[in-house]
Amino acid sequence: MLELLLHLTILSGINIILAVSLNLINGICGQFSLGHAGFWAVGAYSAAAFTVYAQLPVPPEVNLIIGCFIGFIAASVAGLIIGVPCLRLRGDYLAIATLGFGEIIRIIIMNTDSIGGPRGFSGIPKISNIFWVYLFVAITIIIIANIMRGTHGRAIISIREDEIAADSMGIYTFKYKTMAFVIGAGFAGTAGSLYAHYTQFLHPNGFTFMMSVIILLMVILGGLGSITGSIVGAIILTLLPEVLRLMGETISEWRMVIYSVLLITLMLLRPGGIFGKHEFNPLKYFKKKGEVA
Amino acid sequence: MSTPILEVKAITMRFGGLTAVDNFNLSINKSDLVGVIGPNGAGKTTIFNMITGIYEPTEGDIHLNGKSISGERPAFITQQGIARTFQNIRLFKDLSVLDNIRLAGHFRADYGLFASIFRTKKYHSEEKRIKEESIEFLKIFGLQDKQELLAKNLPYGEQRRLEIARALATKPDVLLLDEPAAGMNPNETKELTELIRWVRDKFQIAILLIEHDMRLVMDVCEEIYVVDHGELIAQGQPKEIQNDPKVIEAYLGTEQA
Repeated sequence: MLELLLHLTILSGINIILAVSLNLINGICGQFSLGHAGFWAVGAYSAAAFTVYAQLPVPPEVNLIIGCFIGFIAASVAGLIIGVPCLRLRGDYLAIATLGFGEIIRIIIMNTDSIGGPRGFSGIPKISNIFWVYLFVAITIIIIANIMRGTHGRAIISIREDEIAADSMGIYTFKYKTMAFVIGAGFAGTAGSLYAHYTQFLHPNGFTFMMSVIILLMVILGGLGSITGSIVGAIILTLLPEVLRLMGETISEWRMVIYSVLLITLMLLRPGGIFGKHEFNPLKYFKKKGEVA
Repeated sequence: MSTPILEVKAITMRFGGLTAVDNFNLSINKSDLVGVIGPNGAGKTTIFNMITGIYEPTEGDIHLNGKSISGERPAFITQQGIARTFQNIRLFKDLSVLDNIRLAGHFRADYGLFASIFRTKKYHSEEKRIKEESIEFLKIFGLQDKQELLAKNLPYGEQRRLEIARALATKPDVLLLDEPAAGMNPNETKELTELIRWVRDKFQIAILLIEHDMRLVMDVCEEIYVVDHGELIAQGQPKEIQNDPKVIEAYLGTEQA
């Protein structure tokens, strides 16, 4: 039981990174991307390939940090390659294009023998644990929240609000869309690295389009544009299936139905997600009044 | 006469077989107040969209302060000194009034992404400067008490005012107003007339406006260009325009023979 709890906590952490980074693209910048699992896969596989093939004579922690860094770089390069052509599209077209690219990434992995191909990639050392996962969760949240509150973040938000008006304010919209996309993809890559070094085994089927949809669900459930929302959404959607599974045989059989009904009910009652666009900032209560900008 | 701030030289815009604007010329000097009028579909907004870079003219050239800007991106043109408002107000509705103004100072913010991630000294000093400047703008426009409100919660007249304030906060040389009186009642229009005149005197900038409301245009503009079917049919002071037979024809139609 305790082991399961630890497992779920670590999975929640990885999902938080995924949801918060997708929120930067979908919720904060307003660009509908459906390829997040693809970036996650790029990060996971590149970091895993690094630890398996490079075999650096360094302590495993250092190896993990380098792995996370490589995952970030690889996924953000993938984000750049995909973002530059795709971000000229809007709305539904962008969603379809990113969906396609996400699948292409998966198919490429499926057909690359050196990283396991359809057999899966095994033999990855187990070096990530709850401490490292939550360290990177904190780093992700702090970086994205800090970006959001600066002038670059405001520019990114203004694109969601009204792209034409943003353009007429002297904001290079394409540059900021790409920036949000690349940073979001990069953090998904970091999550991938943490995931690979935790599960020790990767299979292309773990990174399908359905996984992108689940990450998107976490973001929408919490509230598009709210970082705290994404955190809560990620935790709920990680725990909910497990909780339903543990609740006896009958409920367990119906768990996908219950899961769907719960989601539909929530979206009917709160169409903007749990938090809407608002944030819950616990630090606010420790600071003096008026200090928070 | 000094060189004009904005000079539009024989621009033409064709959409497929349709010529929306044909060979249009315009020149504005520092602190001129110029109006472009014409019936619906005459091509007024197309002219605006070419000046602000949303469309690239099929033919012709646009010069701002002696530099060609036709074919440049809208954001670049704004940075060079042309700001605009929109016919159907385009505020950042879910952002606060203050943030709307702060965004206008975005391209002058002198710090990078890393400064904002690591909260450097530069970040704090630049953010402070932008905030102070923005509040100054809000004070000028009498919106400082509403800086925390979301833009969408302002009444219509104040949304217009905020949009004009936001455009001015980019510190332009030329301000383009696209039908600022659209959807306003006579009282609000009167206030707007005063606002436009006051903005010109206060900021000493050139203003170009498109308008349907004849009274506003005749009241406020010193020079008027009349377009119909994409062509310039008259140009001059309000008095001359009012009595121009071509203008009357464009608006009211010809007498039946």
